[in-house]
Amino acid sequence: MNQAQLAAGSRVIIWLRRLRVMTQKEILQLSRDKVLLFLVLYAFSADIYNAGSGVTLQLKRAATAVHDLDHSFASRELMGRFQPPHFSIIGEVANEAAGLQLLDRGTAMAVIAFPPQFQRDLLRGRTVTVQMQVDATNSVLGFLASSYASEIVGEYSLEAGMKRAGLSPGAQLQAPVVLNDYRVWFNPNQRDDWFMSISELLNVITAFAILLPAAALVREKERGTIEQLLVSPLTAFQVLFPKIISMTAVILAATAISVFGILQPLFEVPLRGSLMLFFAVTMLYVFCIAGLGLFIGTVTRNLSQASMLAILTLAPMMFLSGVWTPPEAMPALVRYAMYISPLHYYVDASYAILLKGAGINVIGHSLVGIVLLGGLLFGLGLWRFRSQFA
Amino acid sequence: MNLRRTVAVAHKEVREIIRDRLFFSLAFIVPAVLMVLFGYGLSLDVEKLPLAIIDRDGTSMSREYAHRFIDSRYFDFKGYSFSERDLEQPITDNLIRAAIVIPEHFQKDLLQGRPAHIQTFIDGTFPFRALTAKGYAIAINAQITADSLASYLAQTSGMSVAEAAAVFQPVKLEVRYLFNQSLKSIWSLAPKLIMVILMISPPFLTALGVVREKETGSIYNIYASTLSRGEYLVGKSVPYIVISTLNVLFLWWMATGLFGAPFKGSFVFFLLSSVLYVTCTTGIGVVVSVLVRTQVAAMIGTAIFTMVPAVLYSGVLIPISSLSRSAKLVAYLLPGMYYTNIVMGTFLKGVGFSALWRDVLVLLIYAMLLFSIGYAFFRKRPNS
Amino acid sequence: MGETQVVAGCSHSVEADRIPAVIRVSALRKEYGKQSAIAGISLEVQKGEIYGLIGPDGAGKSSLMKIVAGVLTFDAGEIEVFGVSLNSDSNAERIKDRIGFMPQGLGLNLYPDLSIEENIDFFANLRLVQSSQLTARKQKLLEMTHLEAFRARPMKQLSGGMKQKLGLICSLIHEPKLLVLDEPTTGVDPVSRRDFWAILGVLLKEHGTTALVSTAYMDEATRFHRVALLFGGQVVAQGAPEEIQQLVPARIVAITIPSPAVALSRLRAEFPQIEALGSLLQVFVEDKAGLDARARVVRVLGDVKPARVETMDPQLEDVFIALLRIKKLTTEPDRTSTLPAAPVSNPTQPKTPYAIEAKELVRDFGGFKAVNKVSFRVAPGEIFGLLGANGAGKTTVIKMLTGILPPTAGSGSVAGADMQTAGRKIKERIGYMSQAFSLYLDLTVEENIKLYAGIYGLPASVARERFRWVVQMAGLEGRESKAAQSLPMGLRQRLALGCALVHRPQILFLDEPTSGVDPVGRRRFWEILFTLAREEGVAILVTTHYMNEAEHCDHLALMFAGRVVADASPSDMKSEVERQSGKLVEIDAVHTSAALDLLVKAGFKGSVLFGSRIHVFSKDVPGDTERIKAALSEDPARSILPRSLTMEDVFVERVMALEQAVETTKNGAVS
Repeated sequence: MNQAQLAAGSRVIIWLRRLRVMTQKEILQLSRDKVLLFLVLYAFSADIYNAGSGVTLQLKRAATAVHDLDHSFASRELMGRFQPPHFSIIGEVANEAAGLQLLDRGTAMAVIAFPPQFQRDLLRGRTVTVQMQVDATNSVLGFLASSYASEIVGEYSLEAGMKRAGLSPGAQLQAPVVLNDYRVWFNPNQRDDWFMSISELLNVITAFAILLPAAALVREKERGTIEQLLVSPLTAFQVLFPKIISMTAVILAATAISVFGILQPLFEVPLRGSLMLFFAVTMLYVFCIAGLGLFIGTVTRNLSQASMLAILTLAPMMFLSGVWTPPEAMPALVRYAMYISPLHYYVDASYAILLKGAGINVIGHSLVGIVLLGGLLFGLGLWRFRSQFA
Repeated sequence: MNLRRTVAVAHKEVREIIRDRLFFSLAFIVPAVLMVLFGYGLSLDVEKLPLAIIDRDGTSMSREYAHRFIDSRYFDFKGYSFSERDLEQPITDNLIRAAIVIPEHFQKDLLQGRPAHIQTFIDGTFPFRALTAKGYAIAINAQITADSLASYLAQTSGMSVAEAAAVFQPVKLEVRYLFNQSLKSIWSLAPKLIMVILMISPPFLTALGVVREKETGSIYNIYASTLSRGEYLVGKSVPYIVISTLNVLFLWWMATGLFGAPFKGSFVFFLLSSVLYVTCTTGIGVVVSVLVRTQVAAMIGTAIFTMVPAVLYSGVLIPISSLSRSAKLVAYLLPGMYYTNIVMGTFLKGVGFSALWRDVLVLLIYAMLLFSIGYAFFRKRPNS
Repeated sequence: MGETQVVAGCSHSVEADRIPAVIRVSALRKEYGKQSAIAGISLEVQKGEIYGLIGPDGAGKSSLMKIVAGVLTFDAGEIEVFGVSLNSDSNAERIKDRIGFMPQGLGLNLYPDLSIEENIDFFANLRLVQSSQLTARKQKLLEMTHLEAFRARPMKQLSGGMKQKLGLICSLIHEPKLLVLDEPTTGVDPVSRRDFWAILGVLLKEHGTTALVSTAYMDEATRFHRVALLFGGQVVAQGAPEEIQQLVPARIVAITIPSPAVALSRLRAEFPQIEALGSLLQVFVEDKAGLDARARVVRVLGDVKPARVETMDPQLEDVFIALLRIKKLTTEPDRTSTLPAAPVSNPTQPKTPYAIEAKELVRDFGGFKAVNKVSFRVAPGEIFGLLGANGAGKTTVIKMLTGILPPTAGSGSVAGADMQTAGRKIKERIGYMSQAFSLYLDLTVEENIKLYAGIYGLPASVARERFRWVVQMAGLEGRESKAAQSLPMGLRQRLALGCALVHRPQILFLDEPTSGVDPVGRRRFWEILFTLAREEGVAILVTTHYMNEAEHCDHLALMFAGRVVADASPSDMKSEVERQSGKLVEIDAVHTSAALDLLVKAGFKGSVLFGSRIHVFSKDVPGDTERIKAALSEDPARSILPRSLTMEDVFVERVMALEQAVETTKNGAVS
């Protein structure tokens, strides 16, 4: 080995050493802030548990009142089909106004009204109309309620019609009906806890990945320790990058706690794909998002500014990343805006790995998205930092 | 309570806020930007679901069946496929969320009066979307079945198709959506957005206020003066409550003007209860600030205790009624739920104080409770 | 009005016949967790008194003051203020209308974004000052403090001295009966400090206000009526400054010896308290009956012949250190002869004629020239002091030379490399310590040192060695695993120095390294600097507000309004002032401030207060002595003696003259 190689070798060693001590420093500092540690632990365990166990998106026992002007066998039979799990009859109302009042107060979610002579008309072969008033203040629930009700009424109607056409319901198989066999992939029982716990985990990861590096950088600025680093031979990269490494390490550790302590044992999330791959993708994602946090740290002077900027980026990401709101349904402009949200790609990749068992070949384009956006953000932060201090 | 001292604290705070240009502008920009983004983007309607169809029958009836789905605005037809194996990749890759398989002999079975079997596959990753998609598919399928039965009956009995159709649909369900007739989700969403945005933004405005004074040392001016704890907390929060009240007005204007949400109730009642609500959310920030020692902890604590729950427990994405008991507890602990009743009531239902007095009362108690907690934990003579 | 209130407050007290003390503390204790801050303090402060608290860092001064101001709880004992026992939060509230409190930290309790006037108005409103009174009071205080012209300037743009005066106005705006000031002058230049005390003195006297004050400057302590010396949460000594001074009767023998090693070891055997600063040794010689201090020192020195021997009265600072030593109270571990031997110097460091060279450096902050064509040179092994009032541009110069701030114009070379092009190369060769001792307070001593060792790329074995060296040098043995936060200021500062030295830099930049550090810590710190400069050839650029520290520099540059106005060795600077303004005469008057007024009236315009003495420049010493005697005939001074100049005299004289000149040109421009 010649002299030049030796010198280059020692430069690399020194470079790595600097990175190592700076990373250690960040982790030590983090570990000294007990309140912060508590918050990390809380968010990655109790919060995720609560989210996973606490939400069911099915329409459950929707309070339904009946306004029955017929009081016949037929009306009672149809009413009897509005049963749990989706509906629950809370009683009868005497008139329309009383029903509206129940809806107004929120006591009832739906009121079903049977016209007088419901049974008679039905037997005479006339088409009768059953009215349903649905509180659609929550449009999702409103839709589900009407959709289930249509299903129930439709079935009843079909049976009645077949009876009249001389096709007994028992002999249904002999009629030209289209029988649809619904199969739900990846989550056959539509367990909300799988979905919710993963979604909350991704949100919490995102929140910490932005907030922690932003806070760490602004704190150094506020305390003046950044100057001490600037007069040292550290490059801007060596100042910023260790923050990202250490925050990523901390978040990965917390994620592991979440996956192995909550998701797997408590919710039986199937974890079909490679966990290695999931952690690798998470690492990459946190790396990238942390770049955004650092960027926020460089453009702000104090933590108040930093936290306002953080919500400005965090809240849209969490609400619009595609977990809740399908990008398909968004207007083009917002949809494109979401395509620049790294969380969008991370959500796709994570669900694909954890629930669908996808491998790297499938999530490839999500990965490219994360890497490109993350690299851009980190580069931006680095550039801001440099132009600010040099 | 001395007004002059309280005003002095508030006035000082206002000056500091206004002179921090970036912070001051963000205080207004953040709610407005979130409103626009959420308003246009947070559509919970499940539409244009990417769909693939495998048509093994290839007959006119199978094509007609497929077209019922292709023409529906709920599905976004991505193309025909040949085998289920071909679907695996796009489904895992989120390119397809649903698939329909029409078997061979579909037409033949129906024409001969036998049931035909269709298979529908739905991606269950997002259960809520899967449910809705299933609902759509059932509705479309029911319609097709009824049509098929009618035409079969018409053929066999000589009735007209219309008559036959009436036979198979003796009972019709007529659904009326109350309070939001068109089921346009932006209408019901916009008022809720006001609630959720005012749950996220105000706590962050105040969360660092007290703890920053602790870190710099200017808190000693307060400790050493005759200013009472109450005067300090009130003076400190009033400017932020005013900012948030201005934001209420902006957001109200955006909801009605930009998104065309109807506003049926009393504006005065809405405004007054909104002030009460932002007092609560501002108060959460103040309490966090009083309780913690470092700004970083205040910032992250506020994020964990307000922003993260805002996604799940505010009722915007998930109806409160769908929450389990423990999650409901969280929802009940946040002021958002009560305010939701108020915004929904005033915007969509046009009800007023007589219907909503309970929620107003809860918010009032909430505000007073927060103030009491702040009061109890803010000590003018701390022990370190 | 004050009388009635105090008497009213006293009606609670049992002993009605005594003159009530404003503050009465007995057997007071305060603990933070396991750490005891105050371990049984008893003292009384009488009405109208200026009562000083002195003592090393961590002695309990701040805690005591906070407890008195009713902003901190205590664990045991009793405390009465205005006769009200502060045993509950509500009682503590009862005294706050009569108290003004200024916490430690330069301007930290003020609001940076608010202007001077807005800051004052805030405090006034908080204290419910009548608006009619406020206008008059504000006007008067602003005039006295010369802040009148800057009413609308945001506080964050004020210099340190101005911030401190503004802080004083804010805590006085409601005319409190008791003023509690925690190190009000730390980090403030000598001229501003002098101003501060003068204003405070007038105001306190005017209203009969009582003051409880702490300070790290011992010369200031001599102005207080009474002083308590605290250590480890206890009162070590208490009384008038003169009384304290007499607790350890002694003389200082200052000897100059070119190579002091042998002399030092001989003297150390006999005299435990020696300040060794390069070739100057200051020996604290306690009085022994019938023995002459000078003779004793000369005898001990034996065949080592000093170049110069001088004797003088010890300063309060010397007595302070002696007292702690005698009572075996010290924050310092037992010190071996000098510093630990440093490992062999880094051989790759090239030798250049100048370690630092600044050429016409300029820095503009949006139209405001913070630094205006500053040039100077520092040789290896030289200690170069950069002096100047707050806001003169010293910190900006350092920031440009260390590469934190790019200069607007001009150039400079550091360690033989151009500072603009060879940034990285320079950074490996310099050490920097900022005003705030930028340590990571949540990390331990060891973690801090090893962090910097790693940042400078030291391999593990070298890092361990350097770590041991730093710990020994800074006297941190046994505290390696303590959080930096928990260290007293003096130790923190030496740890920060250690971190700046861990890579054995050729050049050291120190920006007010001793601000807020107690005298014992400061002395130890300078000993280290001397060893570094003399034995290792490190070039040191240092700024300080302690003029006795400036005295120790090899070379000084005095900055004023962004320019270097004087650049010479301390002795040259002194002789220059003597040449221009004359010899120094020190007057020990009985009633200092009255005497000062008389002297100014008698035409001695340059009379200024130094501690409890008055300094006057005179070109005709015998003649002026007579004139002074005549002026003070009604209340004769204890002594009127010529005295050799100190750097403080030079600084005050210079800066005041410059300020005067600016004032005149400004007025000239206006009229």
